[in-house]
Amino acid sequence: MKQSINIRQVGILLIMTIFANKILLMPSLLFSEVKADGIFVVAVLFLLEILTLPVFIILKEHYPNESLYEILSKKIGIILTKIIYILLIVFFFLKVLLVFSVTYVYFKQQIYKDEMIWIALISFLPVINHAVISGIRPLSRTMEIFFAVVLVGFIACLSFSLFTRINIPYMFLSTPKSFFDSIYRHFFAFGDIFFLFLIMDRIEIKKGQSKTLYKYAIIGMILVLILYFLYYSKYQVTSFMHNNALADILVFSVQFNAIGRLDIIAMITIMMITLFQMEIFSYAFSDCFMKIFPKLNTVYSVIVFDIIFCLIYYVFIGKYEIMIKTTLEYFPFLAIIINIVLPIVFLIFALLKRRENEKTD
Amino acid sequence: MKKLIKSYIKNPMLFVFLIILIFFTPMAIYSPGENKIKGVVTAIGIDKANEEYEVSLLTFIPTANQSYKQKNTVVSGKGVSVTQAVYNAQLAMGRSVGLAHAKTTIVSEDILKDEDVSQVVDHISRISSLPENTVFISTNGKAKELLESTTTLETELGLKLEQLIGFNSLNLYSIDTSLEAFYRGYYSDTHSSIIGELNLADENTSQNEQNSSNSQQDSGGGQEQSGEGSASSSGGMAQQGQSKKAISNQGGAVVLKNGEMVAKLNSSQLNALNLINSKSINQIINIENVPLSGENRNLAYRVRNKRVLKSTKFENGYPVYAVQVSLGLQLSEVDGNHIDLHENTEMSKMTQDIRDKLNFKLKSDFTDALKVLVENKTDIIDITQEFFRNDRKKLKKFIEKIDNIDEFISYVNFKISIVAQPD
Repeated sequence: MKQSINIRQVGILLIMTIFANKILLMPSLLFSEVKADGIFVVAVLFLLEILTLPVFIILKEHYPNESLYEILSKKIGIILTKIIYILLIVFFFLKVLLVFSVTYVYFKQQIYKDEMIWIALISFLPVINHAVISGIRPLSRTMEIFFAVVLVGFIACLSFSLFTRINIPYMFLSTPKSFFDSIYRHFFAFGDIFFLFLIMDRIEIKKGQSKTLYKYAIIGMILVLILYFLYYSKYQVTSFMHNNALADILVFSVQFNAIGRLDIIAMITIMMITLFQMEIFSYAFSDCFMKIFPKLNTVYSVIVFDIIFCLIYYVFIGKYEIMIKTTLEYFPFLAIIINIVLPIVFLIFALLKRRENEKTD
Repeated sequence: MKKLIKSYIKNPMLFVFLIILIFFTPMAIYSPGENKIKGVVTAIGIDKANEEYEVSLLTFIPTANQSYKQKNTVVSGKGVSVTQAVYNAQLAMGRSVGLAHAKTTIVSEDILKDEDVSQVVDHISRISSLPENTVFISTNGKAKELLESTTTLETELGLKLEQLIGFNSLNLYSIDTSLEAFYRGYYSDTHSSIIGELNLADENTSQNEQNSSNSQQDSGGGQEQSGEGSASSSGGMAQQGQSKKAISNQGGAVVLKNGEMVAKLNSSQLNALNLINSKSINQIINIENVPLSGENRNLAYRVRNKRVLKSTKFENGYPVYAVQVSLGLQLSEVDGNHIDLHENTEMSKMTQDIRDKLNFKLKSDFTDALKVLVENKTDIIDITQEFFRNDRKKLKKFIEKIDNIDEFISYVNFKISIVAQPD
């Protein structure tokens, strides 16, 4: 029997994916490219991302019980479907790597200054593996339980930054070229909503519930945009120096220095958010893996994931600068295929199905 | 039992948990305590002598005792780079350096005069995780001596260095003098920053300063600036050779351009510049020879509240910075009359003479202090940013005309109107 999740759990998954790769390093990267116009870059990318949501809802309406793999197999054949799934495997695998790299550097700076990568791997991988093996329902149920903690932590980080002076950041300093370049370069950090397509057969959406999805998506996006605004307001010209936005807005002033390790709030929030994000993306990897190799079960997919992850991270990539550079320079095209081209194709399928249904009626 | 083992086999996470426990528990038990391997640094001082950096660390070494006093020691190391000096300080301490709790960073004036200080602190702030919200100050003597004085300061007065400079920060500079604030100025268009200053003086000199009502200070730009009153020495002392050094907080600040010291401002100059800063209150304004009740008197007023309205515009192609300052003033002292001062409403009345004198005094003080900024092309009061915020197109055009953003402040025409009211 298929595990299914309710609309609230989908909404929480959505918020977690919206936070992915945007709340730590990205604000400073964007600032070094387009100054405070980074807020607009994120807003544009969110706009493109949220357009995927109606496509998902329409597709779900017309194919309520079918999985994406089944729909694609019927429409474009197994070979093309498998090629798409290989692309998705690469996409989600890189997502896990990116989230892990940024988080690892953050925790290395904050706590484990002298520790090795293996310590981080031992801490993260078993939990991620367990979540993937347990399935989508326990995974989203866990997120549902901790969602309040994450939300309170996130809002607390934002609120603490309001205790001192805010200067409105200077906007419109970038050139159109740098602005659009920046949108292209950071495409990879967005489009995580696509995850919903992978689990569409396991989502229960009753009539009229689709609004809830928009509500959660908008809440997540607004929170991220507020973070960017406050971050640029606080740090102004030095924004490029602070690599951990959510944590840094908490500890920016001399006044808060006296409180000591106030950043523990940010640490707990970031730890939970990134752990959940890695679980979601690993689950996506595992799901795609099993579709490509239907004879293998989840345990195999997890073992393969662990081996590739450790090898690629430790042997080939290691430094997170390389990881960031790779996703910024070589993989935006992959993100565009997955976030824009595929949803357009899905929309066409959904419209064709509607016409088919109308004819049948 | 069989059932239990079966359930364990079914759930591999329990094994993982068990392996982690087996792996880490002995390590955790046998590893030494963090305080044995790490020295908690609460302040860091950087000096330069003979082409070598000397990094001094005020370290807190946790030891079990029955009093509530913490034991602070200054440990230092030298090296051709700051990193090497930190490394050598580590060797001297026998512990690795933990800078996460460093609340104060002191740099000696010698470094500020010679080189771009951002290069000096950059490495330790980025790599060694020196927090950017550490209070960043300079000293006229050696940073090491200042740190040594701090230990006495804490023991005798229970006063910490960051509290001392924090008071200045709130009451004089009206901005943070943190490393972050320094970087913010450094990376701004005008590359100008201001940092606090704590001086060192010989114990005797310091006491003399305490007794005198006026002091003379040398400015970094080579000019003399007179302070209206110098603060007392704070009591912390360091022994160097035969002479004892004491911290002398005179409320001064150092102006930096591209990370190098270009001028010094004393407390009265800072107060004068703060005229247009609405956050800055509680300054004392002294006016002399005011005809009051048939006599010429000296009056002292305290700024109790302030409202500042600013506007920027370009008139005939030149920038004009118009400010209206409304001051709520409290008469705090009348020369020669100390009886029932606060209840004497006649005295508290503000005559036109008083208003004129206050107006003249505040404007001339502001102009004098502004001169220092103009001469050194340092815009620490963010005039350029104000123009940028209000009319960036015209500013850009004007900058293109003068060809150098640093010169902008010298072209600004300040129109200040002061409305003084008794509070």
